[in-house]
Amino acid sequence: MMRAMTLRAPTQTRTWLLITLSILLVVLVLFMEELKPLFEWVFPDLRSPLYDRESFLQLTLDHLLLVLVSSIISVSVGVGAGLFVTRRNGREFEPLVSSLAAIGQTFPPAAVLAIVVPLAGFGFIPTIVALTLYGLLPVVQNTIAGLGTVPATTLEAARGTGMSRTQVLLRVELPLAMRVIIAGVRVSVIINIGTATIGSTVGAQSLGTPIIAGLVGNNIAYVIQGAVLVGLLAIVTDLFFERLERRFSVGG
Amino acid sequence: MIELQGLTKTYAGKDVVKDVSLRIESGEFGVLIGPSGCGKSTTLRMINRLIPLTQGRIFLGEEDVTELPAEQLRRRIGYAIQSTGLFPHWTVAENIAVVPGLLKWDKSRTSQRVDELLNLFHLDAGEFRDKYPHQLSGGQAQRVGVARALAADPEVLLMDEPFGAVDPLTRDVLQNEMLRVHQQTGKTIVFVTHDMDEALKLASRIAILNAGRLVQYDRPIELLTQPADDFVRSFIGKADLGLKLLSRRWVHQYQQPARVLEHPASFDNDAASAAYGWEVDAQGRALCLHGGRLHADENEQRTQVTHEWTATPDMTMKEALSRMVWFRVMVLPVLDDKERLVGEVAMQGVMGHEPSKQQALGQE
Repeated sequence: MMRAMTLRAPTQTRTWLLITLSILLVVLVLFMEELKPLFEWVFPDLRSPLYDRESFLQLTLDHLLLVLVSSIISVSVGVGAGLFVTRRNGREFEPLVSSLAAIGQTFPPAAVLAIVVPLAGFGFIPTIVALTLYGLLPVVQNTIAGLGTVPATTLEAARGTGMSRTQVLLRVELPLAMRVIIAGVRVSVIINIGTATIGSTVGAQSLGTPIIAGLVGNNIAYVIQGAVLVGLLAIVTDLFFERLERRFSVGG
Repeated sequence: MIELQGLTKTYAGKDVVKDVSLRIESGEFGVLIGPSGCGKSTTLRMINRLIPLTQGRIFLGEEDVTELPAEQLRRRIGYAIQSTGLFPHWTVAENIAVVPGLLKWDKSRTSQRVDELLNLFHLDAGEFRDKYPHQLSGGQAQRVGVARALAADPEVLLMDEPFGAVDPLTRDVLQNEMLRVHQQTGKTIVFVTHDMDEALKLASRIAILNAGRLVQYDRPIELLTQPADDFVRSFIGKADLGLKLLSRRWVHQYQQPARVLEHPASFDNDAASAAYGWEVDAQGRALCLHGGRLHADENEQRTQVTHEWTATPDMTMKEALSRMVWFRVMVLPVLDDKERLVGEVAMQGVMGHEPSKQQALGQE
């Protein structure tokens, strides 16, 4: 009984943390203006201590859209590539795909922007390209690793019962690999939440916009307002994925 | 019935199975045995086409297996493997229901079949249905593995060293259950092992393979008494050949009428005498043995009958002899299932007469 309680305690704490931080995030996004007196008091020298060119709600939604679109592409391409190289026909491409994904991550996102902007122009598209490339590696790696953890005896038993290859994949391999794949998606999404801020340097509006504006205009209050929201968003998302991962753990 | 005709498997120019032909009749318990790398597992897996064969034909009844779609074929053949291969994310009931699910049985029929199979293996359906594989002991998991293989009532059951990963005690229990299940279901079984004792215990026919070739295919007793060549002789193991032979002999073949004492009180407990007799109660249950100790100088000449040193008619002579040695007696009481004394089996009997060949084969 004692043991069960001590094991459960951290889980509960994290659930409360998730709820509390989510509420804090929503409140800050909606009512950042109400904190104007606070920022005026902390930074008395600043002429405009609250970023007000766009609403923080709009910036957050733009930020989320960037992360969502790039993550959907990363996950589809990444899981697809991971599946392909673990099938019989694609096995020989495994080293190639792994190193391509690794190269994608060694490029600094700023460098990717520098290459893509001349090709695709400013704004949304180059940012999506950079984020997608950057988020690909964890998904590919974890898909391959996750499918690799399925024991050979389980696969042989699955084929022995007369499942088709698709049935083996959908009923046995993917459910058993899901926890590890989701862990990869988690890393990818968290990276992209942070990296999406630099999209603002090429004109994609995001929570990075006040940060960049603050850095350029020497306004530390703008930087803090943007950074706090990005940070909170990343932590809340991480806690959410952690719960999701646990739901897919097999055999406790 | 399964028939292999000239089965050959070539990997990279090397024959791992070479021209194996054998026939396992309906209801037989066939065992493939041989040293590591002899091709026994490969042969088994060619039967359900997990491994494509290079040459030869396999018949399941009248059908040529190689002409059937692989997946459909596998749903008609039960398959149980070492370390069970149970799906860890599914409950016991879901695991057993895999093949019925693939064959699209309706829910109530499947559920009924799951309970039936759990009962067959003496697993309480209420308790085990909703457990996950990691909550089972090794022996329980192995039973569920075999139950899953039997789920859709397959014509044939293939087993690839299913008891290789469990402890010796559990293995012995599982082997006994396998014999019972085989008797109850009458399935044709093809069983792969490298353990000769396991083969002798379970098989009605044993195929010995070496380096991909079939060396001998015979009933266990013939394998022991007429080994085909030196390889078979050395593989069986010369050291305890006599004991192995006794593992294919049964107490009822050696059983003699019990010497029941009319007046146990007046039994002459003379230490020098080799005489002995049984004291029984009014219901015919054996109470104790007077005399009959292994050494005449044992101080206690009256031995209480306890469950540990009795025999039953279907016990192997190997086990009976082992009990005699362990409990230092010359003779064991043979009891029926109501613990009544129906005869005795004595050490002189083991040494003395050889059961006629007909008698010995009668058990096969």
